Amino acid sequence: MVKLRLKLIFLVFVIVTLTGCWDTKDIDHRLLPVAMGISKEGEEYQVILQVPEPVEGQMKNRIIKESGQTITKTIDTLSGNMESQIDLLHVKVILIDKQLAKEGVKDVISGFMRSRDVSSNALVTICDEDIEKFFNTVSNDLDVNAINLFEFFEKNAGWTPQIALTRVWQVYRSVHSYTHDVAVPIVVSGGSTNIRHMGSAVMKNGKMVETITPDETLLINAFKEESAQGRVEVSDHASVLIISNKTNSKSNFIDDEPSLENVINLKVVLLETKDDHTIELIKEELSTILQERFDGMFTKLQESEADILGLGQHFRNKIPRRELKDWRSKYYQELKMDLSIEIDIQNTGFLKSNSSDLSAN
Amino acid sequence: MGEVSKKVKKRFKNYDDFFQQETYLYKEIVEIMGFNTLINIPKTKDILQEYTKSVHTPDMTLDDFLKTIGEVKEGNIDDAIQSIFEGKLIICSNKGQYVVVDPIPKELNRSIEPPSNENVLQGSQSSFIEDLETNIGLIRKEKTSEKLCVNSYSMGKRQNKKLALLYIEGNVNKDILSEMQNQIEKNIKKELQNQQDLSNILGFSPWLTMSKFHTSELPSEAVKMLLQGRVVLFIDRLPIAFILPSLIWDMFTIENEHNYPYPLMILIRVLRVLGLLTTLIVPGLYVALVAVNPGVLRIEMALSIAQSRQGVPYPALVEVLIMLLILELILEASVRLPKSIGPTITMVGGIILGQAIVDAKLVSNLLIIILAATTIANFTIVGVQNSLSIRLYKYLIVIFASIYGVFGLLAGMLLIIAYLSSLKTFGVSYLNVNLERDVIKR
Repeated sequence: MVKLRLKLIFLVFVIVTLTGCWDTKDIDHRLLPVAMGISKEGEEYQVILQVPEPVEGQMKNRIIKESGQTITKTIDTLSGNMESQIDLLHVKVILIDKQLAKEGVKDVISGFMRSRDVSSNALVTICDEDIEKFFNTVSNDLDVNAINLFEFFEKNAGWTPQIALTRVWQVYRSVHSYTHDVAVPIVVSGGSTNIRHMGSAVMKNGKMVETITPDETLLINAFKEESAQGRVEVSDHASVLIISNKTNSKSNFIDDEPSLENVINLKVVLLETKDDHTIELIKEELSTILQERFDGMFTKLQESEADILGLGQHFRNKIPRRELKDWRSKYYQELKMDLSIEIDIQNTGFLKSNSSDLSAN
Repeated sequence: MGEVSKKVKKRFKNYDDFFQQETYLYKEIVEIMGFNTLINIPKTKDILQEYTKSVHTPDMTLDDFLKTIGEVKEGNIDDAIQSIFEGKLIICSNKGQYVVVDPIPKELNRSIEPPSNENVLQGSQSSFIEDLETNIGLIRKEKTSEKLCVNSYSMGKRQNKKLALLYIEGNVNKDILSEMQNQIEKNIKKELQNQQDLSNILGFSPWLTMSKFHTSELPSEAVKMLLQGRVVLFIDRLPIAFILPSLIWDMFTIENEHNYPYPLMILIRVLRVLGLLTTLIVPGLYVALVAVNPGVLRIEMALSIAQSRQGVPYPALVEVLIMLLILELILEASVRLPKSIGPTITMVGGIILGQAIVDAKLVSNLLIIILAATTIANFTIVGVQNSLSIRLYKYLIVIFASIYGVFGLLAGMLLIIAYLSSLKTFGVSYLNVNLERDVIKR
C-alpha cells in the first residue's frame, strides 16, 4: 500500500516536471504575426513581420523588421527585442521578394518544413517590389482590418479563382518532385485596392522561371478543379458567369511518347450579350478563346520546363522511376496535349436568348 | 396496577412522551400504553371500543377478546418495550398479560407531492415520500403485477431501520439478486441511515467518485428500472429509490420522455450528451487553446481572444480555477438558501459579479461566456449525483489541459472513460448499454 502510494506520488511528480508546462505562454503574451516578408540583401536575409496588435479595442498593424544570417536567427533577435515572444504558428502568408524567388527559395522553404515554426499550410506569394514598401503601404492604408493581407488569399473571403493558391508544403514538394511544379501568385501594392494581383510566377524546383497572367491562372485553377466559381469570363459577344467546372483526363504512353486527352466541362450562366447572337455562337466563341489561351500558356510552360499542371502525375505509373527524373526535360517537351473545353450554358438569366433550335419559335 | 405495567413504567421513566392510561374493556380495567407522540390516543380508544362492540358475544370475557386482537404475552417485557419504540400500543390486563396492537398512528408523514429535485414535464407528478410503505405502495400502484416482489429487512443492531428490496421476478438476473440478498443478510447488523451506509452494506468502496446507485424520486422512473431487470432499494425515511445497477445511459434518459414523439425524444437525449461533453471539455479547451496550443485557433479567433485577455494578470489555468471556484460557491449557496432569497443571489452572483470581474480585468470576458455555458450544460444531465460527478471530472480535464494542451484534453477524457469502464456493480459494467442482452438473459 505504501509502495503504491509512493508510486502514485512519483507519477504525479513526473507528470508535472516532464512537461515543462511552466514554459507555456498565454496567448496574450505572444505576438502572432499574420504575414512574413523575406528578402535577401547580399548574404543576409531581411525578415519583415506584420503583427496585428490590439490598441484601444481596435486591431492595429505593426511592422517589425530585422536582418540576419538565417531566418530563425533573425526571428530570435526580433523576439529578444520585443516585449512578447514571437509565435510564428499563425503566419498565414509568406511574401518572398522577387529577386530571392529567382535565386531560389529551396533553403527558406526547407527551413520552414524542418523547424515547423511556420505552419506548412501557409500561403507563399511573391512580391514584385521592395518588400518593406509593400508592407508599409498595405498596412498604413487599411489599418482597420489588421489581417487584410491574409484575407486577400482566404478562400472564404477575398480569394478569386484567378489567384493561384500555393502552400509551403506544395512549394517544398515542387522542389523535390520530378513531376509537379507550382504557380505562386505575384502581388504588388498600390492602386485604390491596396493590393494588386499581377498574375502568377511559375516555380520550378523552387526557382521562379516564368510568369503567367491572371487569366491563365484561372485556367490552371479550372484544370486542377480548384473552384472557378463565380468568375466572369468575357468573349467578343458576351460575358458569362462560370458556376461549376470539372476536368477529365486520360493519359496514354505509347512508344515513349506521352499524350494526354483532357476535357474541361464548364457550366456557365449568360450575363450580358452584345447584339443578338445565338447561344451556339457564344459557346463556340468562348470555347475557342479559352482553348487558344490554354495552348499559348502550355507552350510557354513547356519551354520553361515547368509542370505546374502536374501532368507528370498521370504518367508516374507508365514511366519507370529512373527515367522519371527526365520528365521535365525530356517527356514533358514531347507531351501531346489534346484539350477540349466543353461549355454548357445552364441558363440565360431572366431573359430568353436566341438559339438555333429555338429560332423556329 | 399489574407487574408488567410497573416494570414498563420504570423502564420509561425518562421518556416524558410515554403515556399509561387506564380504560375499561368488558367492565374490567386494562391499561394501554405507548408514546403519545406516535399514537393518536382518542381515535385509538374509539376504535378499540367499537371493536369490542362488533365482536361482542354474550359470554365474552376480556381474555377472549385479547386473544382475538393479538398474541397474548406474559412476564417478559422485552417485546413490549421494543414494540413501544416502534410506535405500537400495549394493552395490559390486571393479570399481567399484554397484547401488542397497531394503533391509529399520528400523522407524521407529508402527503404525496410533486417531486422537488427532479422536475417532470407533462408526466406523472407524484414522488416518493419518507414513508417506506407508501413508497412501495406507489410502485404497486404504478405496476400492478403479481411478479413484483418485495423483500424487507430490519437493519442495525436494534434492528430498527427498515430496508426494502424490490424486483420483478423473471426480469431480474437471479445471480445478481441472490448476491445482493446475501450481502444484505450478511451485514444485517450494520447501522443504516443513508446512502453511504447502504453502499457499505453492499460492499462498495466508499471512495468512488461516480455513485453506483442511480437515485430517483419518481415512481414511474423506478418502475421503468424494475421492468428493465434492475433492483430497487428503499430506506425508511428517505424519499429516494436507490436503483442498482446504475448505468451510464441513465445520465441521459428519463422515462417521461417516452411521452414525446420519438424524434423529439432522441433530440432531447442528444442534447444531454452534448451537455455532458460541453461541461467536460469546454473549460479545458479554453485553457489548452489560450495557454498551450494557440496555433489551433483560427487567426481571427486568436486575435480576439488575445485582445480579450489584454491586461489579465493570471495565467489561463489560475483564471479558470478562480472563476470555477466562485461558480461552485454560487451553486452551493443557492442550494442552501431559502427559496425566497435564491433569485437574488443568482442575480448578484451571475450578473453583477460577472460584469464586475470582467470590468476589473481579473478574467477575460470570453471566459465568462465559457463558464456560463459549462454551468448551464452541467444541469442538462439527469440525476443530481451524476451531475456532481461530472462537475468534479471537469477539473481533471482542466488540469490536464493546462499541462498538455489539446492532447491533455484527450488524455483526460481517456482517463475518465477508463475509470468509468472500471466500475462494476455485481458484475455489471457501468458502461453496459444493453442490460437485457448482456445481463438478464445471461
